[in-house]
Amino acid sequence: MQRRTLLKAGLALGALGSLPLGAQRAFAEEPLVFYGLKSMSGAFASYGKYADMGSRQAIAEHPQLLGRPLQYKVIDTEGNAGKAVRKVQEAIGQDGARFFQGCTLSSSALAVSKEINKAGGVFMTPVGADEITGKDCNLSTFRWSVPTYGAIRETLVPMIRQLPQAKRWYTITPQYVFGDALLDNARKVFAEFGVEHIGNSYHSLQEQEFSGYLTNAIAAKPDVLVLLNFGSQSSNALRQAVNFGIKERMKVLLVWSAGLDQFQELGSDVLEGVYLGAQYWHQVDTPLNKALVAATQKAYGINPNYPLAADYIGTKVMLDAIVQAGTFDGASVARALQGMRFQGPTGEELIRPGDHQVLKDYYLLRGKPQGQLRDEDDLAEVISSGRSFVEVDHTGCALA
Amino acid sequence: MSEKNPLPVGPRTPVLLLLVVASLVLLPLVLPSATLATEILIFALAALACNLLLGYTGLLSFGQGIFFGVGAYGAALLMIHLKWGLFAALLGAAVFGALLALLVGALAIRRKGIYFVMLTLAFSQMAYFLAYTLSGWTGGDNGLLDVPRPNIEVFGHVLVDLADPRHFYAFVALLFLLIFAFALRVIRSPFGSTLLAIRENETRAAAIGYDTRHFKILVFMLSGAITGIAGALYAMLLHFAPLSNIDLMMSENILIMTIIGGTGSLFGSLLGAGAIVVLGDVLSELWPRWLMLLGLILILVVVFMRGGLWGGLAELGKRLRPGRTLSTKTKETL
Amino acid sequence: MLELYLFQLLNGLGLGMIYFLIAVGLTIIFGLLNFVNFAHGAFFLLGAYLCYTAVALTGNFWLALLIAPLVVAALAWAVERLLIKRIYHLPHTFQILVTLGIALIIQEASVLIWGPVGKNIAVPPELRGVVILGDFIYPYYRLFLIGFAALIGLALWLLLERTRFGALVRAGSESTETVSLLGTNIFRLFSLTFALGVGLAGVAGVLFAPLRGAQPFVGPEILGIAFVVVVIGGMGSFGGALVGGLLVGVVQSMMTSLWPQGASLMIYGAMAAVILVRPYGLFGRA
Repeated sequence: MQRRTLLKAGLALGALGSLPLGAQRAFAEEPLVFYGLKSMSGAFASYGKYADMGSRQAIAEHPQLLGRPLQYKVIDTEGNAGKAVRKVQEAIGQDGARFFQGCTLSSSALAVSKEINKAGGVFMTPVGADEITGKDCNLSTFRWSVPTYGAIRETLVPMIRQLPQAKRWYTITPQYVFGDALLDNARKVFAEFGVEHIGNSYHSLQEQEFSGYLTNAIAAKPDVLVLLNFGSQSSNALRQAVNFGIKERMKVLLVWSAGLDQFQELGSDVLEGVYLGAQYWHQVDTPLNKALVAATQKAYGINPNYPLAADYIGTKVMLDAIVQAGTFDGASVARALQGMRFQGPTGEELIRPGDHQVLKDYYLLRGKPQGQLRDEDDLAEVISSGRSFVEVDHTGCALA
Repeated sequence: MSEKNPLPVGPRTPVLLLLVVASLVLLPLVLPSATLATEILIFALAALACNLLLGYTGLLSFGQGIFFGVGAYGAALLMIHLKWGLFAALLGAAVFGALLALLVGALAIRRKGIYFVMLTLAFSQMAYFLAYTLSGWTGGDNGLLDVPRPNIEVFGHVLVDLADPRHFYAFVALLFLLIFAFALRVIRSPFGSTLLAIRENETRAAAIGYDTRHFKILVFMLSGAITGIAGALYAMLLHFAPLSNIDLMMSENILIMTIIGGTGSLFGSLLGAGAIVVLGDVLSELWPRWLMLLGLILILVVVFMRGGLWGGLAELGKRLRPGRTLSTKTKETL
Repeated sequence: MLELYLFQLLNGLGLGMIYFLIAVGLTIIFGLLNFVNFAHGAFFLLGAYLCYTAVALTGNFWLALLIAPLVVAALAWAVERLLIKRIYHLPHTFQILVTLGIALIIQEASVLIWGPVGKNIAVPPELRGVVILGDFIYPYYRLFLIGFAALIGLALWLLLERTRFGALVRAGSESTETVSLLGTNIFRLFSLTFALGVGLAGVAGVLFAPLRGAQPFVGPEILGIAFVVVVIGGMGSFGGALVGGLLVGVVQSMMTSLWPQGASLMIYGAMAAVILVRPYGLFGRA
């Protein structure tokens, strides 16, 4: 009995608490708030900083939207998936937020996408996990970056074609869901093209010391060493591989590089001759990219890197879709995005209606020697590019 | 000094409970959202459980994230695969937390001081490793998605719909109040006095005839159960159980909240969790490098204000009350 | 296959010497001052970043190897005077919390100063290249690290066992009164010892930089390694740090051939086992 009264009292309190906050704000003159999910603090601050610049640049192109002023608000995900989800819930519940772009971590993006979908919003993200346009896809969520399938095919296949004498391939893979996805796709390519996959070393999620794995790799005498890790692990693996003189004995491919910011950190000493897979490269000659480079140079005095470009185009496409839909209704904007064709950083890009995956190029770059750099960011050259995507039926995505 | 005054004499039980109720009512009123208030209460539960170990038994555990993570995964899996309801899942999380705590506690309390700390640290790393290796269950680095937040149901009738964040807050607040009252009862019972005796001087407590190991394991299990519940509530709040629930940073955060709030004060844990979560929210928007400030506060609290926020407030209260002599420095807990 | 294990053993020994270098400062501070320094990893990080700056300014790695640890040690000395000396008498748990705070401050300050993106530090030109023994390849630079770590170990041993400073510090750690009676300022002695231990973290940070670069969030990982090594070897034991370092290095390296996913599980499992079975480590005194 007492417990029930307590419960009632508690609920009454809850309702009381909501009173001043529940008021809906949907006045025409009120600005539309567009939310950027950026890891500004915490361990992924280096990513969030540039991603934020990208979104700001796209926002700046639209002082207003459908007659309403446009306001941009950053949600700091703190590089922490739990915080990201709670802050997104808050924005949805308190401010009626509907339009979100960003996320650094796959786990954040996956969880956030579920919340946004429940609220009938729209979310565009550049994260790597296949599940986002695979088994965890939903009507609200769109992804700009190429999934693991395309990243593997657009790097391994051209390399196999260019290096017919390279028959023995060795992989180093991080033991996470993402690493396994890359490895599975790589195995398929090896089998398809009849090159020998002579070995794989798994390493743990926190590993930063690669001398043991490199010793394994060297002893196996491969023609090509394929690194399937990313971020600081790939930087350290590559740095230590160069230390071990691996570049003189075999080709090295880093399938999922972070792009320019990682290259700047490593420098041409490490990168020279290394094959690098990338989602974006600032030297690519497309109309939108040229404009983006010019605008970024003007705004920040730097060349755009991957987080900047990805969040720029993600934000821009969403804003364009709102204009095209002519409404701020989430479902209508999501419909406008489905099947949309647009000028993207990699050329004309298309949002596939079946899984909300943007179809765009993935690049194979090669690190340039110090002497050939035309400017300090000219660290690599594009040697191949193209599009490979799994058929919608095989992504595991079923959009209702 | 510590012998004369074994515990910072807090307010009497009814006063303290009233203070908690008032805080629970105020939180959603002053904060921008019920969701934020809910997160504070969840971490306050975890800090309170940590406090039972640190403040009342003198055990500095870097393993609280294990119980938090296990509670989150456990409840989520029970709800997803076995379709368990709200209370059953919470109970399951408490049991998981208590069992893990039994395992960790029984091993760790065989050692003292720095060795105890190192053991909890080692177990914490091993639990993290298991969590990401068993990705079939936990979702690995992607986290465990689609965690339900069941409603309160009686015979299939929805009594309270917890999908509404305000309802969920009210539910968590009630649960917090119950657990707080229970923990308060425990520490103000003979059991609690024994724990304090162990904290002050374990050898003497053992000499008097207490089986100190037994007591320590029990308090570990209690702490594990409460932390497990906190983890389960967090998973329900987020509809999601990230891998970061079980990492060392989680253990560290829970510890920091406990200390900044005030070791040896259960209400302090609520203050600590509130301060850190709100500070994180506000400051991370203004200044991404706010952790620097957190480090500074941590140092100041340990060096100058051992009683934490609670101790600071109590001291302030005494100074403001005229005609009373100042108390000697807030007692050194631990 | 057997050959590969031999390579891994050799590589592990090399890694172990590096781990010894990371851990030795921690063990000195614990052994002589009975102080637990959770900021050890952060000072390591600072060493790496200062190395980056020094190389950027002077273009000379060797100069950086001299300057950066001195700056780290000087900073440690100041921190000790201001803060640490107030908490020597507190239980270890409080020391852990205060130094955790220091670690947070250093980490975030590093991001403020050097930015969130890591920095690369090139291997000094004199030490580029590799030794080739059949299928086993080993970089000159790592070879140099092993030798340098051994030299540092020897110098430390001489300092602590064969000099008046060492004798005083050792005596001071047993009984502060005795040393004070000898007319020695025990607090200055403690400050110097703290600066020495932390300076060694700085040395390790500099030497590790060409292998790892300077990255702002490396502190906790390094602290973890240092503690595992020190606990396995015996907290406060100089020889223990050496043996512990070698053991951890070899285990880690062998595991990469045997069961790579389990490397960290194995290492932390070993630490837990050592504490449970032999709480004072393989070489520690009770």
